[in-house]
Amino acid sequence: MKYAAQFAVQSCLVLLLGCDVRGVASLPPPQTTSSAKTAAATDKPPAPATSPVTSPPPAPEPAAPAASPSLPPDDDRALVIRDGQESWTSATGAARSGYTIIDLRDDWTPYIFEEHRGPDGQPMPNRYRRVFLGLANDTLDEDGEPLPAGEKNYLELYGIPPSLGVLRARFLEDEKQKCHEGANLAAMEAVETVGYVAPEKVKQEEQRIARLRSELEDARKKNHAQTLAELVAKDPKLEPKVKLVERRGAEKLAMTEVERRLACEGMFKHGVKHNAGIYDDAMRLAVRRFQQKHMIYEANYLRQKTMDALARPPLANDHEALLRVLRERVVAAAGVVEDGSVDSKTGPATYTDASGQAIPVRNLVEELTNSAVEQLGLTSPEAALAFFKRHSAADFHHLRAAVRLPALPEYYGSDMDLSIVIDRGEVWYDLPWDTSGVRHPQPRKRYPSFHVYVKYREQRIPLARWRTTVGGWRAEQASDGYEYFRYKGSDVGPRVIRNVVAGPVWIAPESTPIRTLVKTKTVNGLWQRVVNYDELGPGFLSAYGLIAGYLVVPGKGGKPDWDNGIRAHGSSEYLSMYSSEGYSHGCHRLPNHLAIRLYSFILRHRPMRILGDQPTNIARQFLLDNDVFEIRVPSRGYQYVLEPPLPVDVLEGEIKGTLKTPILTYVPKPGVRYPGPPPAVPNSAEGRAGGVSPGRSAGGDEEGAAP
Amino acid sequence: MTSRTRGPLAGVALLALLGSTAAVGLGAEDVSKSATVEENSSQKTEDKVHITLQTVPPRKAVVKWGNKTLGMIPVPRPLVVVRPRDSGPLDLVIRATGFLPVHTRAYTFSDSRVAIKLTPVEEKNTLFGFRAEVPPPAAANPDGGAPPPAPMPPPAPASVPQR
Repeated sequence: MKYAAQFAVQSCLVLLLGCDVRGVASLPPPQTTSSAKTAAATDKPPAPATSPVTSPPPAPEPAAPAASPSLPPDDDRALVIRDGQESWTSATGAARSGYTIIDLRDDWTPYIFEEHRGPDGQPMPNRYRRVFLGLANDTLDEDGEPLPAGEKNYLELYGIPPSLGVLRARFLEDEKQKCHEGANLAAMEAVETVGYVAPEKVKQEEQRIARLRSELEDARKKNHAQTLAELVAKDPKLEPKVKLVERRGAEKLAMTEVERRLACEGMFKHGVKHNAGIYDDAMRLAVRRFQQKHMIYEANYLRQKTMDALARPPLANDHEALLRVLRERVVAAAGVVEDGSVDSKTGPATYTDASGQAIPVRNLVEELTNSAVEQLGLTSPEAALAFFKRHSAADFHHLRAAVRLPALPEYYGSDMDLSIVIDRGEVWYDLPWDTSGVRHPQPRKRYPSFHVYVKYREQRIPLARWRTTVGGWRAEQASDGYEYFRYKGSDVGPRVIRNVVAGPVWIAPESTPIRTLVKTKTVNGLWQRVVNYDELGPGFLSAYGLIAGYLVVPGKGGKPDWDNGIRAHGSSEYLSMYSSEGYSHGCHRLPNHLAIRLYSFILRHRPMRILGDQPTNIARQFLLDNDVFEIRVPSRGYQYVLEPPLPVDVLEGEIKGTLKTPILTYVPKPGVRYPGPPPAVPNSAEGRAGGVSPGRSAGGDEEGAAP
Repeated sequence: MTSRTRGPLAGVALLALLGSTAAVGLGAEDVSKSATVEENSSQKTEDKVHITLQTVPPRKAVVKWGNKTLGMIPVPRPLVVVRPRDSGPLDLVIRATGFLPVHTRAYTFSDSRVAIKLTPVEEKNTLFGFRAEVPPPAAANPDGGAPPPAPMPPPAPASVPQR
């Protein structure tokens, strides 16, 4: 307390003196820093980074944060780096001086999972916060139960970035491991992708390639060619065959390298046997795990980004991960959402500022992240490794950094006139198959998109534009216990989002196929069936993802809002958003990390009220085989209320095909025998909302599969 | 969050009500008379939660948590399980003679009461998810038992708004 008081006086003095830090005594270096020298008191703050594209206006000239003559207490300590030298300063004082405090602590969560205090000053705990932190720190599993020692979660792909402590351990481990040494990089670089061959077809494919090779060899001899290239020159018709044989040969070599790297990084799951050279379940799981670790959206396949990451040294991948983690921390600290997604081929959109100048919409996410990375000296894998060596694991219990970020655009404020537009893109109402079950393609050139705008000086300025989902044909369980198809559309017109729920729970309606509601897991040493709360939430795999906004038609004249069960929510089923055949059950999905950014941004720039945890006592039983399973939901999540609500406009898009309105009844599945005619469809909001894909897994392996 | 239709939640509400009913009279003094299973007893009281388990209808039932038997619900008293606060959920299986086993979950975020509805084995057809068997097709069916093609349902009238 003594030095805290002394420090407070010092800070006040510094502020009164216009933050002229000259003459302030030098600081002790951070306790764990061995090489960092004491910062010179006269150091000026680093120059603001400028974007070559958008040329942001310079930030107002804040003074350098005052280096503290004594070590500030943990809860008010911020690291500041000048000319590569670290020192501690007061976070409060630095923030007052115009610095942004980046939270690098292991107990960081996005804004939506922060624990707020009510008007009475009492804490409003968030049930999911503990699980989020446990997942980010590799201490808990998705149910909130302890993670076995040595296990890793790798959930960045699904919206839960690793903590800095976890990344630190990753850097230090990867410095020692030799996964990249002796790698046949030429084999990896020779292919952009490795084509998938189903395990049961591997032998057949090998025989086919052997036949082709033999055929080409005969042709080569017959044409008196020295090589296959010469053969192609003499007989161009053979080029596709030669290319296929060569590609398969290159892929085989690359596959060997892929297996070696995945094994070295510990990606193969214990107990799942892998047969070398075959893309079997073990391989699929290992690739998925690798993609989760490196946030690669490539659906378990060895496509370009996965192959690139496999070819990079582990520390380079770790550095990429650090940049992603820092990006979310910077975005959270600065409260921005502009990520360059509204840029067109001709460049960024523009708006007119108060002085009448046309100003481009900046990519603040990258610009601010780059600025922070630069100031923290984390611009290379080596520099990042050195940073983690300077700071012990314990440092990340309290570590925050003060950085000077470029000024935000003038349209920023605490009450921004934000709105959302959802364009459904091209929409098909026709059945995607005939009565024999033969699938009919329903191609789309324009996909659903999610747009965030701010109204400023009578202009609608686009801030972000992301792919999203609309509803389509889905399997549902009817009251007769049988599954049918039902068109689960996304309705159109003006709506609002009044309620935003962090860690939302999806109350599975009775129309949910029961097989999706049970999973197996080890419970206290016993492998058994349990209710699949992954789907229900709260959680990153939940049907509503990590956060959801509820679209409603606002009630008028004292009537309540009308809820059609449509939400705009996070999701781990990224293929439903990014694949050509992806659909939802009517909701508008965003990848979890974007949904978190979106709602954190909205909640921080709109008037809102925090209702906090919404306890409930909902239970529902269902029968599977001869066991009763009981879904118990103790809370609907952590609720925020936007006042006034956020306007949303859902555009109809372009209706393709024959039917111009959707079918509203159940449609029998082709080839299934039913006890009678289809029952009536349920019509509640929950009955229409959310939903999960039968047999889905994170990433949405089955999403978009033929019904 | 407000919905004008409440159809499928009716069953939910019923169970929630059962939960409340079963909890009547289970105040703190009642809990102290209940069978109590406690772990990590070194923890302070405020770091623990009490999970009160009772069956509806009241029947003696064994409560298992994975490999471990937590105890018997000693009707008419409940079984109270004491756990560290916020230590993760407990996936429980409750078995009572003559009834279907029930898989349920208890939470440790705060004190809670769990009323477990038991269903007699012979009444399993009353539970959601029960599937009546489709009668076998006639032997002479020339199509090999395949169902007739489902008729194409008519599209919704154009004036009906999409919901």
